[in-house]
Amino acid sequence: MSDFIKIAEVDAIPDPGKQVFELDDRIVVLFHVAGQFYCLDDICTHDDGPLGEGALEGTTIACPRHGAKFDIRDGSVVSMPATIATQSYETKVEGQNVLIRVED
Amino acid sequence: MSASTVTEVEGFSPAAFDRLIESRNEPAWLQELRQSAFDTFQSMSLPSRKEEEWMRTDIRMFHLDKFAVPEQVKPEVELPLGVLRQGVDVGGSIVSYNGHTVESNLSEELRQQGVIFGSIAEVLEQRPELLEKYLLTKAVDPHFDKFSSLHAAFFTGGQVLYVPKNTVVKQPLHALSVLGPGGVDLGHTLVIVEEGAEVTMLNETASLDNKAPGMHCGAIELIQHPNSHLRYINLQNWGQGVWHFAHQKAIVERDSTLYWTIGALGSRLSKVNQHVALVGEGAYCEVNGVMFTEGKQHLSYHTLQHHEAPSCRSNFLYKTALQDHSRTVWRGMIKVDNAAQKTDGYQRNDNLILTEHARADSIPGLEIEADDVRCTHGATTGKIDEEQIFYAQTRGFTRKEAMRAIVIGFFQQVFDRIPLESVRDALGNAIASRVREYE
Repeated sequence: MSDFIKIAEVDAIPDPGKQVFELDDRIVVLFHVAGQFYCLDDICTHDDGPLGEGALEGTTIACPRHGAKFDIRDGSVVSMPATIATQSYETKVEGQNVLIRVED
Repeated sequence: MSASTVTEVEGFSPAAFDRLIESRNEPAWLQELRQSAFDTFQSMSLPSRKEEEWMRTDIRMFHLDKFAVPEQVKPEVELPLGVLRQGVDVGGSIVSYNGHTVESNLSEELRQQGVIFGSIAEVLEQRPELLEKYLLTKAVDPHFDKFSSLHAAFFTGGQVLYVPKNTVVKQPLHALSVLGPGGVDLGHTLVIVEEGAEVTMLNETASLDNKAPGMHCGAIELIQHPNSHLRYINLQNWGQGVWHFAHQKAIVERDSTLYWTIGALGSRLSKVNQHVALVGEGAYCEVNGVMFTEGKQHLSYHTLQHHEAPSCRSNFLYKTALQDHSRTVWRGMIKVDNAAQKTDGYQRNDNLILTEHARADSIPGLEIEADDVRCTHGATTGKIDEEQIFYAQTRGFTRKEAMRAIVIGFFQQVFDRIPLESVRDALGNAIASRVREYE
């Protein structure tokens, strides 16, 4: 199992809010909602749309291309046209740092 | 592993461009061509995912400033010979390393026949008028996008093949481009086949380190005069850390035939525009594409078969197998101009998905302005049939052997259309060695 890595500082993202981050081999979106952090791949599984550019409502993010919605807490599909969950990453806060666990 | 916010930055600065111009003793027309392309390059942004062509190809992790104009360096290790020339008696060969030519030869017999085969710099000395006429003037548009302009402004290595009128070249000619770790290749291939001439060219790429980063931003131009015949085999086998951007265009004149084979196995991400223009009556073009992807590879091929003249035929067949989390995008277009009556155009893309998370997008298209044509297209995507595996296992195959046989069988239709045995073997072996066992 891989280690957690620091991705941002707690104050960097407003609540509610989101920000896109580039890792070595992937691009992810970090969400800050109701004091919690969640992290998903920045990919809509329907048509590769950039979720980081979508509208955030509560714990749901909508793809800006065709409106597919995902639950930011686990990447599961909330509404069509996507039918497959997008990758989610475990997060935790240590002091002022937000960490995520990246696995293939 | 490190994390940073997404930003877009530029490499290949004006100072680097000036240094390139100063370091090369090139004629004014070529300097002007480069300058014009550089101006376009400076004025353009990298493509956005809002553009249709780039919607499914994410290059946000591509940072141009991590790469630079390639310097001429001597390879520290012996370069590979290439897989396409194995068992083939070639009439000449060119090898380049990190975008600069390190070896170039042509048989005396072909030289006597008037055939020219050499690096851009060599041909610029021997036959500058050839390059002035054909280099980035008729086929590839230097101003098409950020990558074509980058290439036109900064290209270094590459090769030129010229076959004079009514000359039949029996031995294939071979070119190999190799990238070292972190290397950059901006190679340009220009093939000119005069009227009544015939030739076969094998063009392949390789990396010394399969995982090391690298960049190729290249172009291929194939110019065929009337009644000429060209077999062009292009094997893209860069390492899986290489960003591969290419513009490729063939212009096929009256009664000419073009057999173009594409093997796409390597690179981290590929974005290729392949365009064939049938500009003379009775021209024929057959394109055979073989793609195999694994890991997190992303290969995006955009083809255009453009019928500009009457009674031409085109036949594109791309077959793709994908494993792991890899991804392909194939977007094909048959375009038929108003004048191109009696066109017969065909395009097809078949995808074999080997693992759950692989994905293939096929987007065939037709744009027809003439009213007496036959154009058909199709795309299929499917998984391996478990019953076929079970049947093979009952005949003594292991699961992996069965998989391998089925994958090779999937490609057989396109292998059967490839005239050279060495090419069939190279592609078949490369694919068979990559196939893993899946549950």
